[in-house]
Formats: sequence, structure tokens, C-alpha cells
Amino acid sequence: MGAYRADDDYDYLFKVVLIGDSGVGKSNLLSRFTRNEFSLESKSTIGVEFATRSIRVDDKVVKAQIWDTAGQERYRAITSAYYRGAVGALLVYDVTRHVTFENVERWLKELRDHTDASIVIMLVGNKADLRHLRAVSTEDATAFAEKENTFFMETSALESMNVENAFTEVLTQIHRVVSRKALEANDDPATLPKGQTINVGSKDDVSAVKKSGCCST
Amino acid sequence: MRNSNNTGEDRNKDASSLSTTLDSRFNQTLRNVQGTLYILKMHRLLKGRSFPGKVLITRRSEPLDQSVLYSPNTGRRYSDTDFEQGQQVEISTENELQNRSNTNASSSVSHATMGTETMSKEIQKYSAGARATDSARLMKFTKELSGVTVILEKLRELAWSGVPPYLRPTVWRLLLGYAPSNSDRREGILRRKRLEYLDCVAQYYDIPDRERTDEEINMLRQISVDCPRTVPDVSFFQQVEVQKSLERILYTWAIRHPASGYVQGINDLVTPFVVVFLSEHLEGSVDTWSMADLSPETISDVEADCYWCLSKLLDSMHDHYTFAQPGIQRLVFKLKEVVRRIDEPVSRHMEEQGLEFLQFAFRWFNCLLIREIPFHLVTRLWDTYLAEGDALPDFLVYIFASFLLTWSDQLRKLEFQEMVMYLQHLPTQKWSHVELEMVLSQAYMWHTMFNNSPSHLAG
Ligand SMILES: Nc1nc2c(ncn2[C@@H]2O[C@H](COP(=O)(O)OP(=O)(O)OP(=O)(O)O)[C@@H](O)[C@H]2O)c(=O)[nH]1
Ligand SMILES: [Mg+2]
Repeated sequence: MGAYRADDDYDYLFKVVLIGDSGVGKSNLLSRFTRNEFSLESKSTIGVEFATRSIRVDDKVVKAQIWDTAGQERYRAITSAYYRGAVGALLVYDVTRHVTFENVERWLKELRDHTDASIVIMLVGNKADLRHLRAVSTEDATAFAEKENTFFMETSALESMNVENAFTEVLTQIHRVVSRKALEANDDPATLPKGQTINVGSKDDVSAVKKSGCCST
Repeated sequence: MRNSNNTGEDRNKDASSLSTTLDSRFNQTLRNVQGTLYILKMHRLLKGRSFPGKVLITRRSEPLDQSVLYSPNTGRRYSDTDFEQGQQVEISTENELQNRSNTNASSSVSHATMGTETMSKEIQKYSAGARATDSARLMKFTKELSGVTVILEKLRELAWSGVPPYLRPTVWRLLLGYAPSNSDRREGILRRKRLEYLDCVAQYYDIPDRERTDEEINMLRQISVDCPRTVPDVSFFQQVEVQKSLERILYTWAIRHPASGYVQGINDLVTPFVVVFLSEHLEGSVDTWSMADLSPETISDVEADCYWCLSKLLDSMHDHYTFAQPGIQRLVFKLKEVVRRIDEPVSRHMEEQGLEFLQFAFRWFNCLLIREIPFHLVTRLWDTYLAEGDALPDFLVYIFASFLLTWSDQLRKLEFQEMVMYLQHLPTQKWSHVELEMVLSQAYMWHTMFNNSPSHLAG
């Protein structure tokens, strides 16, 4: 975990997970966000995949380390290990398949069982471009998100609609949580020594790291 | 290959009987590599106490001073008429290597080295020989297959180094135990099995959804989500009829194997069978194939063969796809151990970076490397898999160690994030058979070494 490269300079490193049923478009949301790519015939994710992208939040550079997980139930035992230390999550369903929305509740429980209470969660209704096939209304999803106290957005990885917004919003909110935590700890975030870990919750996971090369799960 | 349970007493006996098979397989592997003007080059035979783990591929035109033909098992200079008439090759044994490492590492290199001139001559002979032996190998296959009873052990030994494409369907069916080795019974049994598959499809697949349980509906839905996403880079698999076939095979298999049911990635495992068994009915390259050229009967027979062969293959990995996939977790752990023994620096680097083997190797085991190499190489890889038979899971560990350490130098330069991404998108797009043969022959050497003498390699 030595020196970080100059072209990889960032102020914060946030671990974010992508979860939700198989086929809802998690991998395509990720590839759209990190590489601006979309594929109609992407392969299913086995276990976990991983990508990063840095964006600017307020006056800080935030690097998102995003773990894309397999959607099938069978992989839950493997993938839930990767929730550990996550400070943000995009919980994705497919607006054209109602069953993927019904399963959101199970995913939410799964997530809350394995992560800290302060995790930022965004409910994402993907494939909003398939208007004629819509099976989940925006109102139902909004109501659910309000009840569960999560953020909510509808996206289309295909049309590149709201993808940027969804990720940016999650990262901005995480930044807010982190800054608040740092303040609560009576510590000005701007004066934290480099490489210091900010504990977002009670666990001492290396999940939000300020300017260090560290990045283990 | 079936010597993994050696204990002290019979090790010698086994080792000598093994050396015969080892020699011919090793030589064949070598020939495969040399056939395309490559040679094995032992680079840095020894370094301190570390294991001679680096084998590089070198072009013939490069200086040959450090080159050595290396067999890990045999204990002496040997002559193998099968290799090349009457010619002798200097072989270093691991015992010798081990001894030398205590004295002078650099002298061992020169000791095991042939003069540059001799070496280039040898290589010229080998590469000429490789072409000549193609037909010799074909003859051997034909001979092996023509008997009333096929001797599977011999067929395995031949197939390990690659099966001629047009014999592949026959050989695979035999290796998997789907077709009986007795040729008199073969046609009858295949006919019966194909009918049995048809019955299964009628009973489980061709029924209305209301006759399915929720779980079954769920499974069918998952399969139908995955079929269009199966080997999407090969356009043939985008044909609707191909995807329908995949769906029938996978669903029928899943219903009949409730302990695991359908697990994502098993869809990938059917694809080598599909292209191999279709190759009996369609000509030219896969890209030009059309399912429309086939009769429903033919499609059904091919599907049946795929179904039964998939079943046979997965029988040897029964706990790879059950809850929490303990079989895969076990092998991932073993892989980590083997890599640690072979290449301590890389292993330590990965550990220091917080990289877990599960983060990349899980998919390797789950999809048997199909996702990691170009599709046109997969059937060759599977020749070796199927030749291994029940020993396959154990041998996978060595193939994957060899595959991973192909990038040893690159990996040591990467930090955690780059390393994960590198490992999840390894640059194999341009790979040809040569690289694959290197991975396999290296795996074979390590497997032999470790299984013959696990103790002195530890620590
Ligand atoms: N129309 C439309 N199709 C999409 C969109 N996003 C993804 N898809 C398609 O949906 C299918 C599944 O997408 P993936 O990104 O592989 O889904 P996933 O959630 O990662 O699935 P698993 O890896 O199996 O968990 C693919 O065929 C995509 O092309 C979208 O926004 N609109
Ligand atoms: Mg995915």
C-alpha cells in the first residue's frame, strides 16, 4: 500500500456496491458510469466485478471504488462478503419486471444486515427507456423509497439517462456523511492528516479513506 | 495423473510407472509448443531456495544459451523413441535441482544446458518432427478408436495433448463415459440416451407454467435471462434456435439436479459441447453456421449429447454449484496455497495489497476459464479437462496457477485496484494455441512435482 500515483490523486476513496436481481442492468450501469459503454449482450456477472472512477464533489476529488455483484440468489453467500465496508449502495430493479421490484425489500434487508447504519442507499429503477413495457410505476417506487428512507432515481443505462446523476448523488451524500462524522469527532476534515481513516460507523473498516493508497476490502 | 494419493511406500513404484506416461505427455506438449517454433526456456532455474517456477516462451531466433529441455520427473538422461529417433536429451530432476540449490545455483544452469549449436539443431529437428507426428498422432487415435473396446486410459493419454477436431465428438463422448467403450453397444446406448433426453424435455420443460413451482419458475426465468447473454461475442450463439436449445438443456439439467439447480455460469459450460457436437453436422467455421440447416431430429440428438455430457462433467464437481459453492471455495484456497509455494514474491505482493483470490479466481473455477480465453481455444483446453476425468478438479488448481503466473511480472507492479481490474480482464484476446499449450505444460510439471514430493516444497 505504498505511494499512490500522481494521476490517481484523490481526496477520498469510497467503496460502493451495486446490488439487485440478475438482469436488471447493474453491470451496464457500472460500465456506463466508468467507461461510458453499454452492451445489449453483456455477460452475467459471476461473483463480483470491480471498477473505479473519480469525480469532483464540492471542492474535493472523490474516487468511487464500485463493486458490481452477481444477482442470482445462489451467489449471495459469496457476494455479501463484499458489502463489508461499503459506504454507499445502488439497489437496482428493472422497471419492466415487477418481480425485481418486489425483491428490493429482501436486498435491503441483506444490505442492512451486513453494513453500517449510515450507509447511503439509492434505489434505482433501471431500463426507464422501455416505456411501453413499464411494470413498476414511479409513484410506487417513490413511496417505497420514502418509507425505507432511501434515495430514489429512475435511470436508463442504454440511453445514458440519470446514470451520472445517480452515482454522483450517492457519492455526494457519502461525502456529506463523512464530513459530518469528522466534525462530530471534533475534527476539521480539512485538517485531517493524509492517509487517516475516517470511521463512518462503529466498525473500523477501511471504507472511506482520506488520501491514502489503501484500498483493501 | 491418478497418483495424488501417493504415500511413501509405493511412491517409487508409482513414480517409475508414471514416468512413462509423463514422458510421452510431456514430450507431446513440448512438441505442440515446438511445432510453432517455440521452445521452452527455463529462465532463472534457481534463485536461492525458491522454486524453479519461471518458464518463459522464447522465439527461436533468440540466443539459446540458457535454454534447457526440462522434465520434472524423470531422474536420468533418457531416450524416447517416440520423441525423436535415438536422440538423447539432458534432463534435470527436481532432486538434482534441490541438491544444487544448496551449492551453486548458477552452475546448475550451465550443467543442464546444451551448447547453442546443438540446441538449434535439436529444435530444427523437433519442429520438422512436429509436422510429421501430426499424422502419427492421428494414426494412434484412429488405432485406439478402432478396437472393439476402447482402452480409456490410453485414450486419455492421447487426448490430454489435444484431440484432432474431427475426432473430438467421438473422443469426448468416450472420455466422459457417455458413450460406452465397447463399440458393439455404442449405437444402441446413444440411441436410448437420446430418447431418454426427449422424454425429460417433454416431462419437465414442455409444460405450462401453472404446473411449475415458484422456484421452478424462478429458475426458468433466470435461465432465460442468461441464454441471450451466453458467449455473446460469438454471433452463432445469438441465433434464437441456439438459445432455445440452451434453455432446454439447462432447465432440464437443473430440474434433474435439485441439489444445485441452475447456477449462473453453467450456461457457459454447455457451449463447448454445443460447438463440438454440432461440428458433426455443420461445416466450416462456427461463424458461418446456421441452425436452419439442421433437421429437428439432428438438433434434438445434439441437444441430448450436450445434456448428458454436461451432466457427466458436473458429476465430478458435485459441490461446486450447491449452496455457498464449497467445492469452488476449497479449490480457490488450494490455488492460493499452490501459488504461494511456486511464486512467493507474487503471492506476498498480492497479500500485501489485500487482494483475495476469491476476487478473481471464483469466476475461473465457476466457468472453467471459458470467460478468460478466446472462445476458439476453449475446445482444446477441454480436451485436457476431459482427459483428466475425475482428477480434473485437482488439476484445475495447477492449470489456474500456471495461468495466473503467466502475468507474474505484471502483477508485481500493480496496486490493489489495478490488480483486480487487470485480473478480471486479462489480456488473452490475442492468444493462440501456443500460449495455451504453455499454460498446460507448465501446469503438468507443477502438478507432477507437487504430487510426488509435497513435503520438500513446503515453506
Ligand atoms: N433497454 C435497456 N436494457 C438494459 C438497460 N440496462 C441493461 N440492459 C440490458 O439488460 C440485460 C442485463 O444487463 P446486465 O447489466 O448484464 O444485468 P446485471 O444486473 O448486471 O445482471 P447479473 O450480472 O446477472 O446480476 C442486458 O441485455 C442489457 O443490455 C437499460 O437501461 N435499458
Ligand atoms: Mg452483472
